[in-house]
Amino acid sequence: MMAVPSPVPAARASRVGLSIRAKLVLVTLVLMIIPWVGYKYIKTMEHLLRDNQVQAVVATGRAIAAALQDRPRLLELLRAPAVAGDAAVAPRPVSEEIELLMTGLARTGSRIWIVDRQLRLLAVAGSLQTTPVSVSGTLAFGPLERAVRALLRLLVDQMQEPAIRTAEEVIPNDVVFGGRQIERALDGTPSWRLRTGPDNRTAILTAVHPLWVGDTVVGAAVVEETTQAILSFSNRALEQLAAVTLIVFVVAALTLFFFASRMSSRLRRLRDEAENAIDSQGRVRGLVAGERARDEIGDLSRGFSTMLERLAQYNDYLEHMASRLSHELRTPIAVVRSSLDNLRLQSLPGDAKIYVERANEGLIRLDTILTRMSEATRLEQLVRESGRELFDARAVLAGCVNGYASVYPGCRFQLKAAVQPVFLNGAPDLFVQMLDKLAANAADFSSGYGPVEISFLCTTNEATLTFSNSGPPLPAGMQGRLFESMVSMRTASKPGEPHLGLGLYIVRLIAEFHGGRVAAMNRTDGSGVVFELRFPVAR
Amino acid sequence: MGKRIAIVEDDPTIRANYMDALCKHGYEVSAYADRPHAIAAFRMRLPDLALLDIGLGTEVDGGFALCQELRALSASVPILFLTARDSDFDAVSGLRMGADDYLTKNVSLPHLLARVSALFRRAELLQQPDCLEDFLERGQLRIDMKRFAVTWGGKPVELTLTEFWIVHALAKFPGHVKGREQLMGEAHIVVDDSTITSHVKRVRRKFSAVDPGFDCVDTVYGLGYRWRIAD
Repeated sequence: MMAVPSPVPAARASRVGLSIRAKLVLVTLVLMIIPWVGYKYIKTMEHLLRDNQVQAVVATGRAIAAALQDRPRLLELLRAPAVAGDAAVAPRPVSEEIELLMTGLARTGSRIWIVDRQLRLLAVAGSLQTTPVSVSGTLAFGPLERAVRALLRLLVDQMQEPAIRTAEEVIPNDVVFGGRQIERALDGTPSWRLRTGPDNRTAILTAVHPLWVGDTVVGAAVVEETTQAILSFSNRALEQLAAVTLIVFVVAALTLFFFASRMSSRLRRLRDEAENAIDSQGRVRGLVAGERARDEIGDLSRGFSTMLERLAQYNDYLEHMASRLSHELRTPIAVVRSSLDNLRLQSLPGDAKIYVERANEGLIRLDTILTRMSEATRLEQLVRESGRELFDARAVLAGCVNGYASVYPGCRFQLKAAVQPVFLNGAPDLFVQMLDKLAANAADFSSGYGPVEISFLCTTNEATLTFSNSGPPLPAGMQGRLFESMVSMRTASKPGEPHLGLGLYIVRLIAEFHGGRVAAMNRTDGSGVVFELRFPVAR
Repeated sequence: MGKRIAIVEDDPTIRANYMDALCKHGYEVSAYADRPHAIAAFRMRLPDLALLDIGLGTEVDGGFALCQELRALSASVPILFLTARDSDFDAVSGLRMGADDYLTKNVSLPHLLARVSALFRRAELLQQPDCLEDFLERGQLRIDMKRFAVTWGGKPVELTLTEFWIVHALAKFPGHVKGREQLMGEAHIVVDDSTITSHVKRVRRKFSAVDPGFDCVDTVYGLGYRWRIAD
């Protein structure tokens, strides 16, 4: 078949509901579990550390109690302030001892105080103030840090700004007098609890241990610590987790996005080419998208190509059916004809003659069919072998239209053509054959309501020939198929004359030989049919 | 003396039918089914006319080969090709087979008989010195009606019988347009339009081979052809 230069297929709007990109995004949301797991881990660590702290504080309390037990005099010395005079000299070393003991036991950030049975404060050591942990520099990038912190404050309730200074300088009275812990301790049970500081932001861990002298409880040692260190550590960890997760997610999302976009565009290109691989006239074009890629898409493309090849072969086979049939039929028809001819030469009774004549009529019809089929075949050959020349298509058309008036007496033809000659590159004989077929078609289908209008107009690059006849309109969907081999729309307009649907096929072949395209459509007012042919004008 | 016709055709029914028809017209007919038998018989005795099918049994172009062999044996025996294929027309004309005409197999018997008798007439007259001449002259064209021969400017132009009849139909009334139907009638064939176009094209080509400036056959688009009146 002729290779026809066809326009580049236009990309069609996608019919996709949920694109691959969207699906990939949804899939990556599954990965959100990772930061959640990290968060849970940090929280677990925080709990562990707090438990640790509790244990440490309780142990400190126990140690102090152990150091101070069975030393009733220490407590008395503690109780009695230094009196000027005789008591001033002797108790000094014992207070110092206690001070040393107390300070030695106090850890950074813990406050230790001792109360007696009457809940009188005997000694205080240490303070709750924590050295501010430097939180800058955990994340390398300042703005990132601020962004992360802002994000976390939104997400996590427990994110608190670690207080730089504890507001509790003085032990509040309600702690001393109101807490049941001290009472329990004075009853002999060590215990601990967590209370909020006065600014309602810090949590203070209080552990109370009774001081024994023999079997009686003479006082209690209270060790207090804030949980701020742990809190700030936990915050830092969360920030780092958030930052890392954010960065990783952004990078991964970008990568996946680009990958998905590339995949989508490859598939879309394959789809566009597959859709346009078979044009409306059944001609098959090969696929080229991704045919050398080594993944599934390349495989799919190659699968399509194979399928298209087979389809093209089958179409070819169908198109050449006409020529094959004509070849096969010729010999049997020759047999019948020669036998009938011989029969007619005999002397026959009257009845027999009638039957012979009828058989002959049938044979003539068969022969016409055969002739038409071979016409199409021969045309394909001619089109392949014909040389081309420049000829004035307008003059040819004018001459032909003049002739049609006599060939089709029942039908009027009206020509509207450009004044200047229009040169096409092709074969004038074939052009005439095409015009004859179009005229025959128009005359056959014309309902007689108005003439067959033929127009031949020319722009700088293209000449448009139209044949418009009144009559029944084309059914929807048939426009493309009319020009295929052996497709016919007729319902026997002339009964007795066989119709094969090859006329328009021949029109198409010749139009394409001249580099042109054919199309059939209904008239805008639905009163008839228009055949439009466009040809490139030769220089 | 009855003329001897040899038919070489592989389909038995067609062969029998042709033989019957030709015998009824008083010819002596010998029929052969394949090439070896035919050429053996030709070597023994030449026929007066040969009707050759192109596709003979297993040999797709058996008829062409047979024609060449027969021509080697005799340069003057009229040979008619019969073909089932559409594509053979141009193929046959392209090969310088020296056949006198070629037809498709579904030609009707009367048409076939018309050709056979014309060919016999021509063969007779070519052999004998002619006394009665019947010429048609149009400018440089000279048609010898008896011998079915055409010369242009004195030089002979080899035409098949069909082409001869077409040229005669056109040149009989120069300036008149002959439609395709009319040409078909005069040439005793029933074919489609593009076959007539091919025949006319071949006629032009053959005349142009003799005289490159030949343009006496005019195409009148939509109506047919005409022989241009030479000035």
